[in-house]
Amino acid sequence: MAEAHQESSGSGDFDLSQFYQIFFEEAGENLDLMEQMLLNLDLETADDEELNGIFRCAHSVKGGAATFGFSDVAELTHQMESLLDKLRRHELQPNAMMVDVLLESADISRSLLARHQAGEAGDPPDTSDLVRRISELASGAAPAAVAAAPAPAPVPAPTPAVVAAPPVAAPVAATPTVKGERQLEIRMGPLERLDQVDPVKDLFRDIAGLGEIVDLPSDQPNVRVFKVGTASSNEDLLDLFAFHVARENVHIRDLGEGEPAPGSGFDDDPPPGTPIAPAPGFGFFEGAPGAPAAAKPVSAAAKAGAKAPAAQLAQPEAATIRVAINKVDQLINLVGELVITQAMLAQNSRTLDPTVYQQLLTGLADLDRNTRDLQESVMSIRMIPMSIVFSRFPRMLRDLASKLGKKVDFVTQGEATELDKGLVEKITDPLTHLVRNSCDHGIEMPQDRLAKGKPETGTITLSAAHQGGSIVIEVRDDGRGLSREKILQKARERGLDVSDQMPDSEVWQLIFAPGFSTAETVTDISGRGVGMDVVKKNIAALNGTVEIDSAEGVGMRVSVRLPLTLAIMDGMSVGVGDEVYILPLSSVVESFQVKPDAVSTVGQGSQLVKVRDEYMPVIELEKVFQVPRFDHDKSSDIMVVVEAEGSRVALLVDELLGQQQVVVKNLETNYRKVPNVSGATILGDGKVALILDTSALVRRSRH
Amino acid sequence: MDVMEKTDGVAAVGAREYLTFRLDQEEYGIDILKVQEIRGYEKPTRIANAPEFIKGVVNLRGTIVPIVDMRLKFKCAKAEYNDFTVVIILNLRSRIVGIVVDSVSDVMELPADNVKAAPEIDSVIDSSAVMGLGSVGDRMLILLDIEKLMSGLDMGLVSGEE
Amino acid sequence: MPLILAVDDSPSMRKMVSFTLTGAGYQVVEAVDGQDAYEKAQAQHFDLVLTDQNMPRLDGLGLTRKLREHPQFKTTPILMLTTESSDLMKQAGRAAGATGWLVKPFDPARLLDVIQKVINK
Repeated sequence: MAEAHQESSGSGDFDLSQFYQIFFEEAGENLDLMEQMLLNLDLETADDEELNGIFRCAHSVKGGAATFGFSDVAELTHQMESLLDKLRRHELQPNAMMVDVLLESADISRSLLARHQAGEAGDPPDTSDLVRRISELASGAAPAAVAAAPAPAPVPAPTPAVVAAPPVAAPVAATPTVKGERQLEIRMGPLERLDQVDPVKDLFRDIAGLGEIVDLPSDQPNVRVFKVGTASSNEDLLDLFAFHVARENVHIRDLGEGEPAPGSGFDDDPPPGTPIAPAPGFGFFEGAPGAPAAAKPVSAAAKAGAKAPAAQLAQPEAATIRVAINKVDQLINLVGELVITQAMLAQNSRTLDPTVYQQLLTGLADLDRNTRDLQESVMSIRMIPMSIVFSRFPRMLRDLASKLGKKVDFVTQGEATELDKGLVEKITDPLTHLVRNSCDHGIEMPQDRLAKGKPETGTITLSAAHQGGSIVIEVRDDGRGLSREKILQKARERGLDVSDQMPDSEVWQLIFAPGFSTAETVTDISGRGVGMDVVKKNIAALNGTVEIDSAEGVGMRVSVRLPLTLAIMDGMSVGVGDEVYILPLSSVVESFQVKPDAVSTVGQGSQLVKVRDEYMPVIELEKVFQVPRFDHDKSSDIMVVVEAEGSRVALLVDELLGQQQVVVKNLETNYRKVPNVSGATILGDGKVALILDTSALVRRSRH
Repeated sequence: MDVMEKTDGVAAVGAREYLTFRLDQEEYGIDILKVQEIRGYEKPTRIANAPEFIKGVVNLRGTIVPIVDMRLKFKCAKAEYNDFTVVIILNLRSRIVGIVVDSVSDVMELPADNVKAAPEIDSVIDSSAVMGLGSVGDRMLILLDIEKLMSGLDMGLVSGEE
Repeated sequence: MPLILAVDDSPSMRKMVSFTLTGAGYQVVEAVDGQDAYEKAQAQHFDLVLTDQNMPRLDGLGLTRKLREHPQFKTTPILMLTTESSDLMKQAGRAAGATGWLVKPFDPARLLDVIQKVINK
């Protein structure tokens, strides 16, 4: 293969590398769009718009790749473009094998581009096999089986392209006989590549009055045969075809005549004017408006044009603007600092006499409002819709289901639900594992499903929705569900303490134990048992939770709940001893002063408090955080009720200090994860306060 | 123990600069390039259930930084907190962390000739983090690979799963 | 200073062409497809139109035909950028009324060269 990338040759002063980045991004988008369109393509009723759209994507990538010197990408996309060109002209009928090969090609193109973008690191993937398969499909043959390609199980047997089949009789009927028109059989070959003469057919389409052309089955390899109805002379035809096939390789025979027509290409000398060398890279049409030789000077037209109104020089309007991620992050940091400063000002001004400092206080109140609005706006920049996360699944599932021999429908809900960009990156892996799990272990084989009275095609649903201050993402399937017995048995085998009386919800949680997998055979996909515990860990690292619901034989649902991590949150600060702790305001239900007799002790020292008609567990923060007591006159007598994961607990604290906006800082950046703590913040006085993880506290109370 | 090997591939030909600090009676030297700044001691926010030598975290211009008291870690006779107590803020590959020491002396250049291997002695310091012994005049410096020392599991900054 | 309309749905190609031409002293207006280009052409006169062929909404040939029907653009040089050097494109281009063609990929030096042949400074 030719050298994969060379700097733009002959362009002396022109450094094209400044455009590479734009091209990489643009090509990436085109390949993504192409993949999406291919997946959505209805093979039975593919419409022109769709096919044209897919063609244009490949065409665009090819153009850029060729211009900027990425010849490996240009070659591959050129092949894709040729196949797509035939499809959009309805010369070939799309089938699943073509879609597969095009999808594969898009993937390889992406890899090739990524490699160029990364500075040519590593060995380039070999594309020769792919290229061969595409050109075979493009020429209408079914490609020979290739060892490397995965066996596509449920894919219907590829229908050979329409072109190859029809007997000679049919085309004859299709070609109308026009007075003066002759019917010819034209044989072209030997050809280096069968499709090199495809453009000949284009000529008949584009040049009015030239005639008609149809393919005939060829009896020799490397030879194409056509039937042509035309009023043009053989000489004219040979001239016309000359660019694509040498004259000596064209044999024209008048149908209905026994011998070859005169001038059918046995001449040794090509007539003058036939371009032998490839055409130069540009040219002018003689006599065309504006052409150099034309008498009409361009200046006349220029005079006629009025002076351009200044406003019209506007560049194409863009509805979006690209911004580098680090700029956004920087912006968010700065807004964070602003919030801290504003909180500090607010705190320090609390003691000021309002009558004396009225203007200052009014100004500070305005500042408070402005800061909140700014903060909201800035945070929303980082929010992107879940569809970004969802988009990778259709393709992944298609390939996976195909590999496993299963039939799966993929449904998404709530694609527009927004999520912080930082979370999106971290949630993708765990979700991928869950979806693969559903496909691999959940959905049964088609025959098993039918035997159970289920529809042959299983459904995996991925949904996202906001619930309170969280986002809930669910992966549901209608497969075989979890087997309670198998899980309990496996747990016993591994020495875990389980009982038959355990409620289902607790049994399902067992699968999160490290190394736990009840899969009979470990497939390379998701059976290794390293999955679910890592999923849970990843989600916990995002301060999220995972819940499982399942019914054997019916299906399974995994719910992931994530806090809408905003770097800035409303917090309630509470005091315990000399220390300050922050609770997320969104999880605070109420607070009250507690009388000793409202608290009862049960079991091993656990305490309950009666709130109206409800008893809820009490968590003494002093104990949980081992807060040292210096002043024994002080004690905890305030309860703050918080709700998380559907349950409520009452936290016992000394006092309520106030509410403020806090900037959430990550403790793990320089330190490590601390139990019951979700982060830290900097108070108005510059000191650090820990933000409590209410979910962890609630879970703690359950034991 | 060859000092050359300990220096993470950086050729220790010629001198390196060390920040020297004191813990009790001992003097230590660490690579000056790992030192971000030197601050006075301010009471950190305590973190429950952390080892006693991790005093807590402080706010360093918006960044949360853990503070490790080296006197407690190395089991020195006493650890006081007064106006002279110093915190060295280290900027390491994996984190920013502050260490509390008794005092900071100076920055000195130590040519390789002045450094010899440290004898294997049973000490509280992880011996793999000791790069060697440096001598300047009649002073003896224990040269520490501070990056390695702070990444050790026993330092409590790294959780077991990392 | 001559004003050129550069039409291509690929941002990287547009940028390259734009950069090359402005570097040589031309003024450039960009359009993202044939439709956009035609609308811009209604608003002002261009000394040269440089257009890609494959674009959504209105392709290069379509744009050329429409421009030729417009009194102001009857004689304006229109160059088609094409990745195919086949007779197909040439024939169709000629039929639509284009002035000439340039095969992609081209290098910037050639682009300037060709433009100089048809534009009057």
